[in-house]
Amino acid sequence: MSQISRRFRKWTADKLDLPNDLVFNLPRLTLIGGKQLYIENHRGVKHFSPELLNLKLSEGYLEVTGSNLVIQAIMPEEIVVEGIISDIKYRGVGEK
Amino acid sequence: MRSPLLSSIKGIVTIIVSGENQSQFINEMTKEGIVAWDLKPLADGGLRLKVSVPHFFLLRPVLKRTGCRLNIQKRSGLPFALFRLWKRKGFMIGFVLFASLIIGLTSIVWDVEVQGNHKIAEEDILRAAQEEGLHRYQWIYNLNSQDKLAETLTRKLPNTSWVGISRIGTKYVIEVVEASQPKDNSLLTPHHLVSKTDAVISHIYAERGQPKVKKNDRVRKGQILISGIQGGQTVVSKGVVKGIVWHEYDISVPLTYKQKVYTGNMKRKGYLYFGQTAIQLSGYGKIDYIQSKVLSDLNPVRWRDLKLPFGYMTETVFETTEMELTRTTKQAQLEGIERARSDVLAKYGIDSTIQSEKILHEKTDNGKVYMKVLFEVEQDITEELPLVHNQGE
Repeated sequence: MSQISRRFRKWTADKLDLPNDLVFNLPRLTLIGGKQLYIENHRGVKHFSPELLNLKLSEGYLEVTGSNLVIQAIMPEEIVVEGIISDIKYRGVGEK
Repeated sequence: MRSPLLSSIKGIVTIIVSGENQSQFINEMTKEGIVAWDLKPLADGGLRLKVSVPHFFLLRPVLKRTGCRLNIQKRSGLPFALFRLWKRKGFMIGFVLFASLIIGLTSIVWDVEVQGNHKIAEEDILRAAQEEGLHRYQWIYNLNSQDKLAETLTRKLPNTSWVGISRIGTKYVIEVVEASQPKDNSLLTPHHLVSKTDAVISHIYAERGQPKVKKNDRVRKGQILISGIQGGQTVVSKGVVKGIVWHEYDISVPLTYKQKVYTGNMKRKGYLYFGQTAIQLSGYGKIDYIQSKVLSDLNPVRWRDLKLPFGYMTETVFETTEMELTRTTKQAQLEGIERARSDVLAKYGIDSTIQSEKILHEKTDNGKVYMKVLFEVEQDITEELPLVHNQGE
């Protein structure tokens, strides 16, 4: 994504008040209690064990730690994780 | 998203993937569009997951690319359930046969019953029902609805005012209410009413026709009482004409007469009977009665309302003798007159009345009483005489 198009997108998102996840393909997380976690716009699984789920994102990684983690459903863009979720870490390798 | 019902119809395979590149396997799998769920890492390093049967067959290239190995742990869902059922097909066939037998046998009319008919023959009703398809061994599905059947049956059976049809399981009950029909009058030709005997009219009432006589008129036998020609037209004359008629009776009554009486001696015999055969159980021995009368009393074995064709029979033999009785002349007279009176009523109708009676002559001879009695009887004296048209004036 070139610098100009990125700026244009940011400008439209600001002006039109659009959600960032749609415009920039940013991940969107929905956490229900400590039990269920919806992650949209992921880029694949890097590591998966009952204690740790490491997900690739468009930028950086998402680390979900807990116990008895189960991927309830997985689709190309979407993933549902169940279990006792204790920690969600966002390791962005940002350009800024 | 995945629908649990749809995936169980397609069939679910629970597999365990083992190998080094499990996360790669998951990524490749999702890229292929394979929908998996309930992914769970196991303690031994494997990954358990569930996929639908059509997607299971797409897994092979993914496994090859990633170098993972696959073990099937469990199969569930409709296709596998059907497969298991197919292995027990003998049982299944038996079950289906049983169910279809029950359904088949209960959808046949096994009995047709007719209720409430008195004058209409049951066969006629059953025949009419048969024409509508309602008969034994008929499929219930083939029959029209009950109210429609009842309607057509009411139309087919002209002497009914209502027909109801009800089904009790496999039995059809046709309930009939018969129409009360007016008595059909027999066809009458125009006629006169003429006198049966010589008489004196005591009462005349002409309902139709021209009365030709009055009260206290003396009429001869064959005389027209009520004419069938009225105003130049022939009619069926109708009416009541009563007249006083004299009847003479010659009566003879014997002074002595014989009558059968019981002496009071009797013997009982007991039998066991089966149908027409009876075996004597008690009361053996010769009976030396000269004259006797036998009364038998059957006691069949009963079950509910049913009389079974066997049981116990008692036969009682009564000894009888003939006794000679005598009566006085007075008694003989009364007896004779009484006999004559009942003869009058029997001959001339129950509504005739004896106005007076008179003993004209009486004598006793050879042990008998001879009498001549005159009865004055008021009785119906009408008789029909048909009018013949081409004989007219």
